[in-house]
Order: sequence, then structure tokens, then C-alpha cells
Amino acid sequence: MKGYKKYFGKKIVWFLVTLVVAVILNFVLPRLMPADPVAAITGKMAQGMTDASAVQEIYKRYEEEFGTNKPMITQFFIFVKNLLRGDLGTSFSQYPRKVSDIISSAIGWTIALQLPAILVGWLLGNLLGALAAYIRKGFDKVLLPVALFMSNVPAFGMAVILLVLFAVNWKVAPIGGGYAFDMIPNFSWRFIKSVISHYQLPFWSIVLVSIGGQAVGMRSMSIYELNADYVKYARFLGIKDRKIVGYVFRNAMLPQVTGLALSIGTMIGGALVAEIIFSYPGLGSTMYSAVTAADYPLISATTLIITFMVLVVTFLLDIIYGFIDPRVKAAQFDA
Amino acid sequence: MKNTLRQVFHSSKFVVGFVIFVAILLTMIVYPLINPGNPLEMIGVGTFAKPGTYVSLYDATKTPTETLRLSDAGDKRLAKLLSDEDRVAMVEWFTAMGIDVEGLDISDTDALLELWRANYDPSAKPKGMTQARRNYYKRLNNSIASINASETLIIAEKNDAGELEEQGQITTTDYVNVRQVANVKALPLGTDNFGRDVLKELVSAAGTSIIIGLIAGAVATLVGLTLGLLSGYVGGLVDDIIMFVTNIFTVIPGFVLLILISYSIGQEQRGATVVALVIGLTSWTWTTRSVRSQVISLRNRDHVNLSKLSGHSLVRIIITDILPYIASYVVMAFILQVSSGILAEAQLSLLGLGPRTTEVPTLGLMMNWAMLYSAHTNGSWWAYFPVILTITLISFSLNLMNTGLDQVFNPTLRD
Amino acid sequence: MGKKILEVKNLKTKYITRFHEDVYAVDGVSFDIEEGKSLGVAGESGCGKSTLALSMMGYYFPPLHYISGDIVIDGKNISGMDPDSVRKSILGTEIAYIPQAAMNALNPTQRIIRFVEDVIRVHDPRAKKKEIRERAEQRFAELGLPKTVLDKHAVELSGGMKQRTVIAISTILSPKVLIADEPSSALDVTSQKMVIKMMRELMEKGYIKSMLFITHELPLLYNVTDDIMVMYAGQIVEKGTAKEMVFDPTHPYSHGLMGSILVPEEGTRGTTLTAIPGTPPNLKKPPQGCRFAERCKYAKPECRYSSIPEKFFGDGGTRMYRCLMGVDELKEVYSHE
Repeated sequence: MKGYKKYFGKKIVWFLVTLVVAVILNFVLPRLMPADPVAAITGKMAQGMTDASAVQEIYKRYEEEFGTNKPMITQFFIFVKNLLRGDLGTSFSQYPRKVSDIISSAIGWTIALQLPAILVGWLLGNLLGALAAYIRKGFDKVLLPVALFMSNVPAFGMAVILLVLFAVNWKVAPIGGGYAFDMIPNFSWRFIKSVISHYQLPFWSIVLVSIGGQAVGMRSMSIYELNADYVKYARFLGIKDRKIVGYVFRNAMLPQVTGLALSIGTMIGGALVAEIIFSYPGLGSTMYSAVTAADYPLISATTLIITFMVLVVTFLLDIIYGFIDPRVKAAQFDA
Repeated sequence: MKNTLRQVFHSSKFVVGFVIFVAILLTMIVYPLINPGNPLEMIGVGTFAKPGTYVSLYDATKTPTETLRLSDAGDKRLAKLLSDEDRVAMVEWFTAMGIDVEGLDISDTDALLELWRANYDPSAKPKGMTQARRNYYKRLNNSIASINASETLIIAEKNDAGELEEQGQITTTDYVNVRQVANVKALPLGTDNFGRDVLKELVSAAGTSIIIGLIAGAVATLVGLTLGLLSGYVGGLVDDIIMFVTNIFTVIPGFVLLILISYSIGQEQRGATVVALVIGLTSWTWTTRSVRSQVISLRNRDHVNLSKLSGHSLVRIIITDILPYIASYVVMAFILQVSSGILAEAQLSLLGLGPRTTEVPTLGLMMNWAMLYSAHTNGSWWAYFPVILTITLISFSLNLMNTGLDQVFNPTLRD
Repeated sequence: MGKKILEVKNLKTKYITRFHEDVYAVDGVSFDIEEGKSLGVAGESGCGKSTLALSMMGYYFPPLHYISGDIVIDGKNISGMDPDSVRKSILGTEIAYIPQAAMNALNPTQRIIRFVEDVIRVHDPRAKKKEIRERAEQRFAELGLPKTVLDKHAVELSGGMKQRTVIAISTILSPKVLIADEPSSALDVTSQKMVIKMMRELMEKGYIKSMLFITHELPLLYNVTDDIMVMYAGQIVEKGTAKEMVFDPTHPYSHGLMGSILVPEEGTRGTTLTAIPGTPPNLKKPPQGCRFAERCKYAKPECRYSSIPEKFFGDGGTRMYRCLMGVDELKEVYSHE
């Protein structure tokens, strides 16, 4: 148990350190830019406005919101203090809605869409990769190029293709949104049915894209494990191939957990863009509308919350991995 | 070296990837030579002209004709004039009027028209049919009537007095040779929402995107290689610091940093090169990690120790004793970075954070435009599908090359 | 003469490479081992000794393929059996194997006891967990292994401990023949000694009835096994008792190998077999005549194309060698060096 405690402690420290760095970056990066962000953003906001006092007001509001007239370090502490209270500022484009309000209504959609989609993609991909490695001939020859090709279709591309085929051409799925546009979210059966039918396409587009990469990785890993010495030894002790395949896939699968932890950031990036294609009411679409409307507080908050989510998922995967792979425990005793 | 190359080209995966990539590159180079001009020139006034060959109607009427009597010409003309929707609408009329349509094949134009002429009555008011719908049928009937009405079209021009004066007649058997028509424009992929030639734009965009990928890949590889070498070879405190930073940036999603930086730079400063640099600067962590672990395993090999004992400088040891051994990994990492750089640009552009839109097209920008103008919901597949296919093919070819290299350099993965 | 536990007759197997080339790694090997005896196999790396070990299991999977020959264990010919019955009724109980790289021979993420369960259940599918544990604990204790090992994962064991665990697992079903492929080569001197001691105990306590011990470390063979045979390019070039082979080698290849070896201390690391210049022939196309001719100091022109017979001599014809030259002729040549 000592090994696990040490491992757990280490991971927690890492989680906190990366979180602090992420918050600092989120704060500093936009402010490092040479141009005066207040002027730049006000300029964008004021496009097409003729009323000088309105422009002035926007400028003031922004300055006040961020305290950009105060020294950088003071700004940072105000930022952190507000952050701890869950106050992420006020949106420009949906004034006077609170940013935290907008984010909290979007985050549920994103989690409900992406977490299951990425997990299902990971599982199916690993299954296919393992099959390809085990069966090799024929199956592998067909599956590997297909998986490689699929893994190279960008997430948004898959989203568009599914959308056009199923929603536009065959009309078996709705074109976009999280639920029918004429509904108000509630817990009626009709609403839930609508949510489910809107869920299908974004879900499968993310699953299809993540399957390929995972399958290719799992295949290499399994082939590597199938050639391991313990496989040969177990065979010579008369152990059934089916049982040995069990050993192999367990061992090949475990590093795939870390692989998932390391690639989750990239995967979420792609999946967020897929949300835009379906106008899914999650963080991706929020980010998109924030960018189009030059809604600076909303952009900053969205990036921060996405980073936070990725950090949490990575942390959890690391912890799970520590429990299921004894190699981690052994490494901790060695260290 | 020669031997390694030969081995690499023995790998079928590498060869397939290489051939696809070179074919794309050759297209980038050759196509602008045979079809020169500004890829962003808006040649079409409307949006989303369909793919095909466009013949100038004006020039065609002024081209000498030949008479060809083709037996199926009339049928074809009819078939083209009656769209599928019209045919379905006609059947709907019959059904509404209670006419038996059993056994009627809507692709059989003659039968359909015969039934229509026999049964259509403009004064009839089928139950539940709106006025607008009835008007549609009237228009449809008029156009059906006009099909056979005149066998000739008259070309007339205004004379000095402003009166129309007949210049000639065109009959259904008049043909012009496309080669003799002064203006024929082939648009194999139609035009986009701005009326630009999609194929020309696509070729130029793929070129720009590949350059973005190459710059991003080069930056990421250079940064990653330098940090990895320092971290792995020098070790100690340098290693600790570099790995600390690397680990942090491995977990913080690069995509998020990319968004933050791109947004902060602002639209005006965001050229293709700047975007490429930013992508490169947010994606070096993988290379750093793999280079570092390679260098650590090399650091204490005999030939390196020998070099150290001979008093060679750090730079020389790295260049002559370390780099050649990790070259294959670096090349592989570079290839992956190029492909993920191209993808990153596309995703950024879709978010509206891509390169500024006025100078050069990129694959991401084309995709963004197509989506903004709903090409995907209005059936203009040529505006987005070739873009997706191009991105996929480029990244597929690069990844195939990478897999091929991997199989050559990691023999356990060989089949 | 004791009862023959293992007889191998003219065994031929091959590797098929990924370029679809055949490599004849074991090319007509015959020998036998009597009850209670151990036989050592010596040779350079690549001479086919490890392949011989794998070929003798009667259980073939790619890239190794069986061509012809017999493997008879305690009167039962296993070479003609179908793979599944070999797996169920031969492996582990009749013949067992200790692999070359025991460091990686155990599944790193499995507890040792789980693996022991899997091994025992191949032959006794209904064995209860408790019984298996008792059996394993008893056997481990008798072989001087702490029983706590059973509840550990392979990654948590030291190298020497892993090797001894592998030996204990391989012999847990008391096989008649144990094939050990370089069981101690990768270990430090102390662990090596313990492994050798363990092998002796296995034999003394009757957990195994005979042993084939493969190594490139000759001094080890002299101390561990009763008989030694020398392999070269997929064939046996000479066979005799350990003493005879070390002090009185006949074949020019054995002579070259043994010549420089002093009587070694048990467990010390001695000269390895690299003293003879040249490289072994390509086994994709084995030479027609003597396979050693290319490197033999005494080779005559006819050595290169004549087929070389196995010749027997010594007390009761127990010694064998494979050379055109006669025993006395060779002794004569050696005496002039």
C-alpha cells in the first residue's frame, strides 16, 4: 500500500502544479501580446457602432471587468480571487449574462457527449486492434489500412460526412442542435427522445474518429506483447492460446490507458470542433460563438474550463492506472 | 545510409504513403502551371456553381452549326426538363385527383406526359391543395406545354431603331462543336460560396496547408530535439527543469494554448506563417520526450564514452555520436508533427481563428467558408468534400510513411 | 545401462523467415538420455542449440516448423501427436522447459500463484485453488523459495528470484525431462550458484528424471552434467562424458573449443566459445560436405563434398564424432601442436 500512497501523492502534487501553471498561462498569454487588448477588443466590439459614448462604455466596462488599469500582479490576484468564487466575469456578447452561467449550461452537454464517445471509441478501437493483432493474416491486412485511413479523417470531416449522409440526404437524423429547436428543456419523454436523436450523429462521429487511432496503437502494442518471452514460456507449459491471449491483451491494454490519458487533450480538441458542425450546445459551440462575437471573457473561461476538465480526466486515468497495473507499484518501490 | 534507404523503400506501407504524398506535391506544382491565375479570384457571380464544363451560351449561338439527327435527342431533352421533383409532384396530382397510377414508372417520361396531358385540368381544385401548390402545377403544365410547342428558337438583336430583328434560328437538330466555341470553362469542382474555382483554390490551399504543416513540424521538431538532447545528454538540473516544463505542457492541451495565443495575436497579425509558428510552438512535447529517452539509452554507450575521453566537445559528440542514432526517430516525429500541424490549422480555422482570410486559401479556411455558407446542408458537396478528402489523404500518406519507417526501425512490429 | 528416458532420432526442424526462406536450424540430431542423467549441449550462438531445445517440446508454432524425426519420452513417441494432445498430456508433465531469458518469462502483471493455477489446471481443470496453493507452497519450500513469492507479481521479484521461480513453476508437475536453455547465463555469480544447486536438488529429489542443459559456458557443463555434446551448424559433431569431452576432445571443432580450458571451479565464469576464427555456414543452404570444413585447420579437399558419417568409438561405442579423419589420425595431428 505504501507504493500506492506515494504514487497517489505524487500525482496529486502534479495535478495541482499543472493546474496553477494552466491558470497562470490562461491569465498571462492574452496579456503578453504587444497590442493593447482593451483597445483591440473594444475595436472589434464597436464595429459598426456609431455612438461614441457606447464605444466608450464598452471600453470602460472591459477595463473595469479586468482591472486592466491596475498592475499585472494585482490583476492576477483579483482574477484568482474571482475564480475561486466561481466568478468568471460577464459575457460581452450575451450581456448581462454571467460567463459562469453560460459555461455551466454548456459543460453538461460536452461531458455527456464526449466522455462516453471517447470511452466507447477507445474500447472499440482496442478491441479491433487486438483482433487485428491476433488474427493477423487477411483481417489485419484489410483492417489496418482502413483503421489508418479512418484515424486520419479529421473529426470535423467525419462530422460533416455523417451529417450530410444521415441528416441531409437520408433524413434519419436531425441536422443539429442538442434537442428540437421548438422545445424547452424538461424531463418529459418527448424531450428525452429528442435529445437522444440529436445525440447520435455527434456521438458516432467522435467514436468513429477515435476508433482508428486506438486500433492502430493497440495492434502494435499487442503484436509487441505477443512476441514477448512470457508468451512463449506459457505456451511451452501447455497453457491454452485463448488464455495466453487474455494475458497479452491485458498487458497491451494497460499502457493504452496511459495512451488515452496522454491523447485526451488532442481528442477533445477535435471533438470540440465536431460540436460546432452539429451546433451542439456544448463548450465547442460556445467557444465558436465567443470567437465570432469577440467575447473575450467567454473565450478565456472556456479555455480554462476545458483545460481543467482535461487535467481532471488525466489525473483520474493516472490513478486508475496505478491501481490496475502492478508494474507501477513495482516502479514506485524501485524509486 | 544507402542500405537504410533501400530497406525503407522495401516497406510497402512507406512506399504507398510516399507515392500518395509525392502525387499530391506534384499536383501542387504542376496544376498552377497549366491553370495559372489567382486562386482567390471570384469568377462566378452566384454561389456554389455545380461541377462541370461551362459553355458560353453567347459564343455558342455565334458558332457555326452542324445538323445532327439523333433519334433520342427529344427524349433526353424532355428528361432533363422534368426534374425528379416535378415527376413526384405529377404523381401526387394524379393521386389527389384519384387517378390510377398503378404500374406507372416515373422515369418513363413518355407515359408520364401522356397521362398528364390526358388528365390535367387547370380548373380542378383537389381537396386540401393550397393555392400556391395549384399555381405550381399551372407553371409546371405551362413548361410541359412549351416543350413541344416550338421546334425552333429565334435569335433576335435590337437594330438601330430599337426593334428586334431576327438574326437567325436555332432548331433542335443544330449542334456546335465545343472546340469551336470561343469560351468554354471547365470547373471540375464547381465554384464556392464566393464564386471561386474550387479546384484551383483547393490546389493552392493544399500547398499552403502543407507549408504550414512543414513549418509547424520543423519548429516543433527543432524545439523538441534541442530540449530532448539537452535534457537527455546533459542530465541533472537541466534535465529536471526541462522535464518539469515538458510534463506540464504534455498535460495542458496544446489545442487550448493554440486558441488562446491565436486569439490574442488578433486577426490582423495572423498570417499563415504566424499560425504555423504558433502551432509548432505548442506541439513540441512529444518530440522532447522521445528524443530524451533515446539519448539516455545512448549516453553511456561505448562510442560516446570514447568520444568523451578523446576530449571532443559537447556539440561534436551530439552531432557525430548521438544524432545519427536518433535520426530515424526524429524523422518519424517530424512526419507526425507535419500531419498534426495541418490538422491543427484546419481546426483553428473552423473556430474562426485561422490565418487572415485575404491572402491565401488554406484547407481550414476553405472548410470554414463552406460551413459558414451551409454548403453541407444545401447539397454543395464539392465545396467541402474534396477538402476533407485532401486533408485525410495528406495525413494518411504521412502516417503510412511513418508506420512504414516504424516497422523498419522497430523490428518487433514486422509482419 | 539405465532405462532410456528420452530418445531423439534424426530430428529435423526449420525456421521459416518472414521472407519465406527456410533455415535448417536442427538438421538430423540423434541422442538419448538415461534415467537420472543429465546431458549438456555446447556450441556457439546460432549453432541451433536453442532451436534444438524448442524443437524437442513437440509443440511447434511459427516461425518454427517440424520436418521429420522422432522424440520418444519414456517409450512414448510425441513427434507424431497432434498439437493439442501434446499441449494437454505432454507439456509440463512429460517434458518441461526453462527459457533462455527467464527475466521476461513471467507475465509481469500476473500474480505468481495465478500462473501456477493456470499451469496446473491445464492437466487438472478441476483442481481447487486451495489445493493448488498447498501444493505450490510445499514445492516452493522444498526448493528453498519463500512462499511469499506466490502472492507477488513478477515485476516485484529480483532477477535471481525470478529465475528460481521459473524453474520451480516449470517443474511443478514433476516432468520426466527438463530442458534448460541457458538458465543461469544472465545472472550474477551468487544467483548462478543457487540456480545450479536448485537444478541438482531437482534431480536428487526426483522431481525430474533427466535433464538437457544448454549453455555456451563450458565450465558450467563440466560441473553440472554427466555427458556433453557439441553442436555445430544444426548438427551434433561430438558426444561423450563430460570428462572425456573436456580432457580428450576428438573432433577438430570440440578440440578448438576445449583446448584452452583449464579445469574450472564450479560456478565461475569461464572462457566462452569464440576462440575459433571464421563464422558458421549459412543454414539456408547448408554445405554439402563437412559443415566445419571452412574453418577447420586440418580440412582436406574431400571434406568439402563427401557426406560425413557419424563414427562411434570408446568403451562400448558410447562416444560419437562426425569427421572424415580417424581417431588416431586426429590424435596424431593434435600432438604436433
